Amino acid sequence: MIEISHLYKRYHNHHGSDWVLRDINLVIPDGTSVGLVGRNGAGKSTLLRLIGGIDRPDKGTIIRRRRVSWPIGLAGGFKGGMTGRQNVKFVARIHGVKARLDELMQEVQDFAEIGPAFDEPVSTYSSGMRARLSFGLSLAFDFDVYLSDEATAVGDRAFKKKAQKAFKDRVSKASLIMVSHGESILKEMCQAGIYLKQGEAFWYDNIEDAIAEYHHETD
Amino acid sequence: MAWFWMIFEPLATIGVMVGIRTFIMSGRTIAGADFVPWMIVGLMGFYIFRETMMKPMGAVDASRGLFTYRQILPIDPVLVRCFAEGMIRSFIFLLFIFVGELLKLDLLPDFGVGALLDWLSLWALGAGLGVLLSVVSTLVSEVGKVVKIISLPLLIISGVIFPITYIPHQFQQYVLWNPIVHGLESMRLSFFDGYHTINGIDITYLWLWALSCLTLGLLMHIRFSAKLKAL
Repeated sequence: MIEISHLYKRYHNHHGSDWVLRDINLVIPDGTSVGLVGRNGAGKSTLLRLIGGIDRPDKGTIIRRRRVSWPIGLAGGFKGGMTGRQNVKFVARIHGVKARLDELMQEVQDFAEIGPAFDEPVSTYSSGMRARLSFGLSLAFDFDVYLSDEATAVGDRAFKKKAQKAFKDRVSKASLIMVSHGESILKEMCQAGIYLKQGEAFWYDNIEDAIAEYHHETD
Repeated sequence: MAWFWMIFEPLATIGVMVGIRTFIMSGRTIAGADFVPWMIVGLMGFYIFRETMMKPMGAVDASRGLFTYRQILPIDPVLVRCFAEGMIRSFIFLLFIFVGELLKLDLLPDFGVGALLDWLSLWALGAGLGVLLSVVSTLVSEVGKVVKIISLPLLIISGVIFPITYIPHQFQQYVLWNPIVHGLESMRLSFFDGYHTINGIDITYLWLWALSCLTLGLLMHIRFSAKLKAL
């Protein structure tokens, strides 16, 4: 269960700063996959970063009682000068993997299917290759909740299929909180939905309702 | 190529400095030490200080991608760079000492333990300032540029190239405000048995600077860790 109570977040800049998120109160139950919808700049990624614990709220609390992944997405996650293999090794080590390190690296390599590029610096990767690697990397750990920020958006058809299948296989053990503008993937992967609008969050037990509300607002 | 420049750069600097020195002030000598080893010790000591101070400044920005993992804090890449710079510089210095001995340059320290402690002190001073500046220069990017400008005259006023004994007596007390001078002169005293320098060299003064900067830097890392990550 992830409990968010009275959460406020803003980013400071030189000309005043408005709240990005204002008084968010949410309870995300165990085993429920949630889709986050909202317009660009509504605070979806910010909320995901806060849930992931890589950013701190200005007010309020987030209680995570599960193992939550880092936000898997397009931005960041790798050191460009190191090879894919070195990055994987590094991330495995900061997650405390010792005994099954070799096994884990093999797993990631097999999932990512980027061939010899696995031993090339990550800075030479295309965005699709990065997505493959970061997705494969996150699946190598047993998280209870996976956070995805458009993680599959740039992947090709085969990869999207593979990624969806990998998640479906885990649905019994793990859940997903995902930001996406691809509505079919949201409907397929998620049960509940959160609609973010002008800094406020609205919970819907059914993802279809959240998407319908989002359409209703933007049309 | 990185390996080549790591060794060739200090070598070239020493070559240039020796050239300038023999050209301009060939008559004057340094009390109790040969010029070339004196110069190598000073330059190496200055380098370990300067590099451990300068390299951490870009560390937070360069490792931005890794803050995706909540385990990684902004202090981590900073400490790694301080450690790595110290190790690289120590290795190069050992290499210079070894080659210098083969060339009969008398580069072995006369007081080994003392030299080691002085070397560590200069490293600590660089690391203290590096940790502090890594926060400050990331929050206020102008600071980084100013530090780069200031670090050029530091080479001169720290007595790396010209001995501080040349400085008129009434100004020597101001030179002693600079903690690098204390580190460099202590190290030369440990290296060369008969070396004479100005009065008032005190390695404790350097450690006061090093530990103060380190404490302040670590405190600022705690205070601003969320801000450094989010920038």
